[in-house]
Amino acid sequence: MLLELNDVSLSLKRDGKYVKILDEISLQVNKGETVGIVGESGCGKSMTALSVMRLLPEKAKLEGVINLDHEDVTSYSKRKMEKIRGNKMAMIFQDPLTSLNPLHTVGRQIEETLILHTDLNKEQRKQRVIELLNEVGLPRAEEIASEYPHQLSGGMRQRIMIAVAMACNPSLLICDEPTTALDVTVQAQILDLMNHLKEVNEMGIIMITHDLGVVAEVCDRVVVMYAGKIVEQANVKELFLNPKHPYTKGLLESIPKLGVKKAKLGSIPGMVPSPDKMPQGCRFFDRCSSAMEICKGKTPPMSSVGEDHTAACWLYEEKGGEMNGSSGSEGLEATLHN
Amino acid sequence: MALLEVKDLKQHFTIKKGFLGEKKKVKAVDGVSFHIEQGETLGIVGESGCGKSSLGRTILKLIKPTSGDIFFGGKNITHLPRKEMKELRKDMQIVFQDPYASLNPRSTVRTILETPLIVHGAGNRQERMKVVEGLIDKIGIRKDQLDRYPHEFSGGQRQRIGIARALTLNPKLIIADEPVSALDVSVQSQVLNLMVDLQKEFNLSYMFISHDLSVVQHISDRVAVMYLGKIVEIADVDELYRNPLHPYTKALLTAVPLPDPTKKRDRIILQGDLPSPINPPTGCAFHTRCPAATPECKMETPELREKAMGHWASCIHVHPEQSTKTKIHIS
Amino acid sequence: MDALRYTVKRIFLMIPILIGISILTFFISNTIPGDPARLAAGPYADAKVIEELQEKMGLNDPVYVQYANYMKNLLQGDLGNSNYSHQPVMEDIKQYFPATLELTFFSMFITILIGIPLGVISASKKDKAADQFARVMALVGVAMPAFWLGIIFLLFFYLKLGVLPGSGRLDTGLTPPETITGMYTIDAILTGNWTVFKSAVIHLILPGITQAAVTIGMITRMTRSSMLEVLRSDYIRTAFAKGGSEKRVLYGHALRNGMMPIMTLLGMTFGHSLGGSVLVESVFSWPGLGKYAVNAITYLDFPAVMAVTILIAVLFILVNLIIDILYQVVDPRLNYD
Ligand SMILES: Nc1ncnc2c1ncn2[C@@H]1O[C@H](COP(=O)(O)OP(=O)(O)OP(=O)(O)O)[C@@H](O)[C@H]1O
Ligand SMILES: Nc1ncnc2c1ncn2[C@@H]1O[C@H](COP(=O)(O)OP(=O)(O)OP(=O)(O)O)[C@@H](O)[C@H]1O
Ligand code: SF4
Ligand code: SF4
Ligand SMILES: [Mg+2]
Ligand SMILES: [Mg+2]
Repeated sequence: MLLELNDVSLSLKRDGKYVKILDEISLQVNKGETVGIVGESGCGKSMTALSVMRLLPEKAKLEGVINLDHEDVTSYSKRKMEKIRGNKMAMIFQDPLTSLNPLHTVGRQIEETLILHTDLNKEQRKQRVIELLNEVGLPRAEEIASEYPHQLSGGMRQRIMIAVAMACNPSLLICDEPTTALDVTVQAQILDLMNHLKEVNEMGIIMITHDLGVVAEVCDRVVVMYAGKIVEQANVKELFLNPKHPYTKGLLESIPKLGVKKAKLGSIPGMVPSPDKMPQGCRFFDRCSSAMEICKGKTPPMSSVGEDHTAACWLYEEKGGEMNGSSGSEGLEATLHN
Repeated sequence: MALLEVKDLKQHFTIKKGFLGEKKKVKAVDGVSFHIEQGETLGIVGESGCGKSSLGRTILKLIKPTSGDIFFGGKNITHLPRKEMKELRKDMQIVFQDPYASLNPRSTVRTILETPLIVHGAGNRQERMKVVEGLIDKIGIRKDQLDRYPHEFSGGQRQRIGIARALTLNPKLIIADEPVSALDVSVQSQVLNLMVDLQKEFNLSYMFISHDLSVVQHISDRVAVMYLGKIVEIADVDELYRNPLHPYTKALLTAVPLPDPTKKRDRIILQGDLPSPINPPTGCAFHTRCPAATPECKMETPELREKAMGHWASCIHVHPEQSTKTKIHIS
Repeated sequence: MDALRYTVKRIFLMIPILIGISILTFFISNTIPGDPARLAAGPYADAKVIEELQEKMGLNDPVYVQYANYMKNLLQGDLGNSNYSHQPVMEDIKQYFPATLELTFFSMFITILIGIPLGVISASKKDKAADQFARVMALVGVAMPAFWLGIIFLLFFYLKLGVLPGSGRLDTGLTPPETITGMYTIDAILTGNWTVFKSAVIHLILPGITQAAVTIGMITRMTRSSMLEVLRSDYIRTAFAKGGSEKRVLYGHALRNGMMPIMTLLGMTFGHSLGGSVLVESVFSWPGLGKYAVNAITYLDFPAVMAVTILIAVLFILVNLIIDILYQVVDPRLNYD
């Protein structure tokens, strides 16, 4: 096990009072495995990632255990954290233009990671930068190293970000919407590159995205988040073919699929509750079409609904899985297999 | 007769590079022709910067076309005087991408929806309110929410308000520029469903601009694919998605990640990025990235030609008889 | 090469601006009531003398002819004679301007030395004690009228403690160094005259700090807000994600990005100090351009007013040009073209 989050909760200060943004998040990432985190905007995907990196806003209250290689990093000092950031774990952000310093050459920005974490001398660092640029598929590496971010296209900039992250061969790579700002043809290039790097380097990857297509394409396992909580976890095939949680089902039904023409898309009524007005009980209650009396007052626990498949929903609590849920998912499966 | 017809439309922006710098031309829209029938949806897809928004804004004459003709309801409106154009705007409306920026934050929903009616002098206050209330009923917003401000609504609700505003004057054509791109999937589907319902009810025509091929497929009757200011392929939606002819369309379609882990496809991965529209490549503008390019493609500029019934593509290596052999399967 | 081309281009662009300014000042000073000839002739001159003088000074020519003549002389370095000091304006300026320039440089030096670090600390320790302290200091500096602060300083350091001199540029008894730049400190260094240098610096302290008080406040606040803005940006997060320490991120990434708006403000303050130092100069009897300008205006000394206005305009434009060129050096995105 490379990374393990155990009951991680996060509160941030907003307008003078603490608001719980993440509520008892537990997930695991193995070596060589890609775990996707999906969910609507504001559900806490980025905050989960930033908690692992400990790049949180000021006055954040982080609880729970975050084990990286079986060591709890939540107790690490600032200095110790700096040692592993960019080294053992690295992160790639959504917008490659704003994520690179506009005043430094890209070569210098890649080199900085090497300065911080390795003993390489200047000549060796230069070598390594060129090597990295080649690895991420950039031609004329020497020239590009001395160029500035604004001189490069969006796809090239994201490749630079990847090179920065890969500089010290991290064992954990966290990607926060790495292709959202890119065109589809460029996204295809980047996903291709990431798949290749993963095979070569055996890292664990957390892939945050709201694009279920990207998840299906690159992830081994998927974590579905809703309003600061994990509502379902499964391997990728299981999740897409046999979704259990009403929210996951709703999500899958609302995406138009290439090659499948439907008259009407499914949709989830209402909107995500804001963190300071979280409802009691199941947080999905007022948008859920299968809601029951019990859902309103009591938070559904996470329970097993299949092999390597868990969901937090009262539909599956007593019956231990299938029974209740199957009726709800029929329609969906019909559309999926179209 | 088509509701909207566009012939050889061009929109060339002149940009000054630096001060005292020489002037350069951005050929944002470069000779585009198509038509939209009453009640029909034409989808426009293409990568960022290919000229989709410029095309939309030029048709609405929010910017003056460089050349070409725009016919609306059979009438050439390219050089219409401002006053007549204002009258015509009732029939052509636009919905923008950003539901946050496109609504005035200091106006209530009631005011936002009533303003177009006032501007065009439609009815008295009572009649206007009737129109407004009828509209919000259709977009799923309650009457008691009318006096709230845009920031009190969610993104999806705001976009629906934007659509309602476009509908107040009973338009015939709505140009929707990435109307769902800023929304979450669950909300996106609400808006798409609403647009489909409204189209049926009012026999609306849509020009639906998006970079999302799945969304465009869902909502369109016909689809045009743009690359560097030009339409490279246009066909009925099913035909285009099942039997794409242009190498660019093929690459685009295979690049979209499918939300189904059991389907693995052979992907055509294009090299490089979109070239700048300031100095587009010679010949076929796609030749720098085209997997099927030959030396001729650098010299010869392909024209949009009908390769099969109602299926137009601009590629010198796609021949009408060959078109059925190049099927690719995406599902 | 690019930088050179850009600079040359910019300097050529200054010409129309300067012509515009000279026309404007010339015509405005001509429409102001008051007769320079009468002033020059003195209170007891009779009408005939004044008339002759008017003729001699060209005051009866059409305005545009007067302007053309003025510009012709200007290009030959002749700014006319002062109606008040009765010597060439050029000589006056050579005498007074270096004093002002020296004072301005000194106060800018203090401003940068104190204001920018204070702003950076303020931003990195946002809402903590250091920030609150800097905020109060800045507020005091900005809110206090310069002449009033000057008087307080005078009372305290000069009259009460007697540790610092309260007027003039040098101790009485010292002869100014040989004129090279006209700035005593620099000339003293160039001639190796350390006694004079020391005295010149000591004399700069009180007026310099008084003048800097306002600008320090402004620069501190600007640095703070600019840095806070930068610290929120994505590339700062990236820098932390690489494992950079706070110090490294602050000085290695944030400061240079945050400098942009600060440079603009510095340029503006520099211009203002040059033109607006009259109050400070009065309080500390600093024989500078500010005082000269006030005299010129009081006595309707048109040649002097014109000269000072044009000089300050040129300096303003030059400073702006330098700032723009610095921008290009700092920011690769502004590629001269
Ligand atoms: N600096 C902050 N202070 C307080 N609250 C914050 C801060 N940053 C984010 N939040 C809140 O935390 C919650 C989770 O945000 P997060 O950025 O993790 O969402 P996300 O799932 O990544 O969404 P998106 O898809 O939009 O990126 C949101 O409700 C957001 O408003
Ligand atoms: N007002 C303008 N002046 C100069 N150039 C412009 C102007 N508007 C757009 N352009 C340029 O025209 C080209 C096409 O832009 P347009 O906004 O139409 O693209 P788009 O297809 O809508 O892209 P996106 O998907 O990013 O919205 C771009 O290169 C853009 O930089
Ligand atoms: S617990 Fe109840 S409300 Fe929540 S998702 Fe399950 S059925 Fe719906
Ligand atoms: S004309 Fe040539 S370059 Fe253009 S799309 Fe066809 S094959 Fe490719
Ligand atoms: Mg996020
Ligand atoms: Mg656009």
